[in-house]
Amino acid sequence: MSLEQFKNRNVGTQNYKTLDLDHTPVTGMGQFKQVVSRTFKPELFVGLWVTFREMINALFRGKMHTTQYPFEKLPISPRYRAIHDMLRLLESGHYRCIGCGLCEKICISNCITMDTQYDENQRKEVSEYTINFGRCIFCGYCAEVCPELAIVHGPRYETASEQRASFSLFEDMLTPIDQLNLQQEYQGFGAISPNADENIKKTPLAY
Amino acid sequence: MMSTIRNVEPKAINLTIDGKACSAVFGQTILEIARENDIYIPTMCYLTKTLPIASCRMCVVDVEGVDGLILSCQEKATDGAVINTQNDELYKERQNIMKLYNVNHPLECGVCDKSGECDLQNKTMEFGVSGQNFTTKEPARPVQNWGVVSYDPALCIMCEKCVRVSTEITGDEALKVKFGGYSSTIINVKEDANYKTLGEAAAVCPVGALVDTSFKYTANAWELTQIPSSCPHCGAGHDVNYEVRHGKVYRVTNQAEFSTMCSASRYGFDFDNKNVKKDVSSFNSAIEAFENARTILFSNETSNEEALIFQKLKKERGYKLISSEARAYQKFMNAYGSVTGKLLANGTLDKLTKSRAVIVMGTRINDDAPIVKYHLNMASKWQRARVVYMHPIADDEISNIVTQFIKYEAGSEEGVAALLADTLLKDTDLPEAIRAVLNDLDIGNLSAESNVGEEELETLRKSLLKKVGYSLVVGSDLYAHPRAQNIAKLLALLEKYAGFNVICIPPAGNAMGISLICELDDEAEGSTVGYNVKGDFTLSALGDGDLDMPALNQQEGTLTALTKRVVPMNVVLEYGGYVLNDIANALGLSAEYTIEYTKELPSKKGFEAVEFDSLPDYFDAVGAEHRGYLLNEVEVAVDETLEEPVEMDGYDGTVVYNCNPQEHFSAFTAKSKNLEQNAYLRGSQQFATAAKLADGDKISYIIDGVKFERVFKIDTSLKGTIALNPTFDMGLSSALISSYRFNQVEIEKVGS
Repeated sequence: MSLEQFKNRNVGTQNYKTLDLDHTPVTGMGQFKQVVSRTFKPELFVGLWVTFREMINALFRGKMHTTQYPFEKLPISPRYRAIHDMLRLLESGHYRCIGCGLCEKICISNCITMDTQYDENQRKEVSEYTINFGRCIFCGYCAEVCPELAIVHGPRYETASEQRASFSLFEDMLTPIDQLNLQQEYQGFGAISPNADENIKKTPLAY
Repeated sequence: MMSTIRNVEPKAINLTIDGKACSAVFGQTILEIARENDIYIPTMCYLTKTLPIASCRMCVVDVEGVDGLILSCQEKATDGAVINTQNDELYKERQNIMKLYNVNHPLECGVCDKSGECDLQNKTMEFGVSGQNFTTKEPARPVQNWGVVSYDPALCIMCEKCVRVSTEITGDEALKVKFGGYSSTIINVKEDANYKTLGEAAAVCPVGALVDTSFKYTANAWELTQIPSSCPHCGAGHDVNYEVRHGKVYRVTNQAEFSTMCSASRYGFDFDNKNVKKDVSSFNSAIEAFENARTILFSNETSNEEALIFQKLKKERGYKLISSEARAYQKFMNAYGSVTGKLLANGTLDKLTKSRAVIVMGTRINDDAPIVKYHLNMASKWQRARVVYMHPIADDEISNIVTQFIKYEAGSEEGVAALLADTLLKDTDLPEAIRAVLNDLDIGNLSAESNVGEEELETLRKSLLKKVGYSLVVGSDLYAHPRAQNIAKLLALLEKYAGFNVICIPPAGNAMGISLICELDDEAEGSTVGYNVKGDFTLSALGDGDLDMPALNQQEGTLTALTKRVVPMNVVLEYGGYVLNDIANALGLSAEYTIEYTKELPSKKGFEAVEFDSLPDYFDAVGAEHRGYLLNEVEVAVDETLEEPVEMDGYDGTVVYNCNPQEHFSAFTAKSKNLEQNAYLRGSQQFATAAKLADGDKISYIIDGVKFERVFKIDTSLKGTIALNPTFDMGLSSALISSYRFNQVEIEKVGS
């Protein structure tokens, strides 16, 4: 549509088509007739057939579309910003956080609190690290600013809990040391979801 | 700085810097003049409070008609000079210097403590260093822990500021440069001494090389809220900047460019009275105690406003006010003023640094008043001043600046003062009455009694003859002396007739403010209420009294410093309980906040009627102090009647001297974690033999009715038969120990 056409507010001269709809019945009898005619149209059975066919497909041909949540979960896009994860170095198993404090500084809802200290290896050690998830707005700045890819948004989107504190300690967010081999590298903000290939469909040309 | 130290004839000069006409005094450096005129010259190594270091070459300027670049920090300006501070050549030069500084500088800004307030970061940005064309092989440089500070040589840029502070200012002379081209480092030649004053050297480090060990890696500079205040411990009232986060002090900084702190306030900041809630029943019993009491006892850790509250309560209800150390100082200063005609001694620290000869008497100065000691050291280093140290105990710590040590017998201070006055006023015109008293002195007897040889005094006199600009520093040994008043008058003669710059160091805390504000009494009567002192009812900021009070870093108020300055203190940490003002209000006074009393401080004693909130608190670009205000000079009645010195009984047997270590002043510093140390009775081998003690013996003795239970340690740095007895660990009792500082005690062994 060109700009001129777009700007033309004169409805009357444009090529609108008026749909030829039946008159809405006003009398009781008219309404009754409409109900009866709609009820006993053969389209009903078309619909029932579709349902029956999908049921057969799902139950006997293994084409179930329903995800059995919470027993089954769809992979979440890496762009999704859920509860934070603290990653470890794959070589040494030591946590990656160097305690630079940039996440604390950049946090716009002031929900990150950290304390650091000088440890026996002359390194900066994170002695306390909490995120107040009652305040966190999951903006992702902390993960973006982190120079070590230490704090990232993980896939844990189920944030219902008996208490907020359940997620908020450093140890809770840190990859368990025995699951280090399962630690997922953060793909970055522009990354596509892991099942992106499966989700690819032909764009329908006609509706 | 340089120019103001030397005694040069002030000759006005005019010059042009960056097209701006500037007038100055001959002797000032180009950099000083530029800063006075708000012209920016970048520097990396320049430190206003020391002599120019000239190691960084960032301050180069272009002087028209002069070949090559001139270092503006050390070059004195000449009349008519035309100077450019900014041009392409200079920019290139400075940029190259920054590149050289950045050679192999570890890229660990992410964890470095200095990040965010780092000169190297700032100047690297300022000169757009985006690439590096220099490189070299980096030697191994391990991090070193020097007690209160740690040193990371890899981060060090060798500006030498720390070395200069350690030498010129604090005088511990621990830090030295180890020359070796690119491998040069700073070394600590006195690592075993574990000086707390190294904190002053760390404070001036422009990068993260020298940092406080206790602060290292605990917080980023930008996370800390800065709260300016004044030193509550040492009595010098120097500026203190508490850096707070999460309701806790992380570190203490200061305007290190211009001023220097005592180690007590740098590391003794966690003395707040924690987790206090309003306890109504205790408060009511406090009111009742005040209703019934006849006497209020209080310690030196009392602000001017609180002292005024006590004074007002005295007026209303006739309490006796007892604050022994302040009382002794008050009496001493009254006697002193009766000679000079001024309320306060004339001395200033600034004049002390410009003195060519200094006599220190009646104070173990390195421990009693570190700030005064720093200035003494400056005089020694800048003026090559003769420093005569007169004391019964030699002090190894200041042996590097003392040119003559005169040892006198404990208790003979009056005789010594008389001898001093006699020696130094020999050729001065004096009123006849005074001259008569001095002529009547039995020099031989005084000399024998005090053990000060006539030839020692002659050496002293001769050495002072050639010098100009004298200072006399006296301290609290004299104030509690039974003959304090006559000593004061004798010493005041030196100020009045010999032009001495006299500093009477007040006892630590706010003793000076208390002595000016309160009409103190000598004897307690009836039941007592103690404020940070053990009384029948005790109000305590140490957390162990009957009612909690805020510590000095939890309340607003002012302190009177030995620099004769009234300085403001701000609330640093939260406090939830009652304050003294609440009690005063319940007893009939009326003020919403304690600081409403600031403007009511007595103008007769030199205070000004200024609101607390309008007190300034800053240093200007050239380092002039604008903190609070200076006390006005007050004239008092003159009465020059002197008395003959009285013969004293000698101190025999086991004598101990009440003296805290340099970083301790009171029960509040004792509370501080960074300053934690055991209080031992320290004596020489000779003392141990005389007192029949062995190293590690558990002993007990009583001074001023306070029982000390201590371990005895032999200190090989001490000589003589007098042991040092610290009092800082005595909690609420420490303020009770206020008699003459030398005591003959009976030591009882309780085990070994």
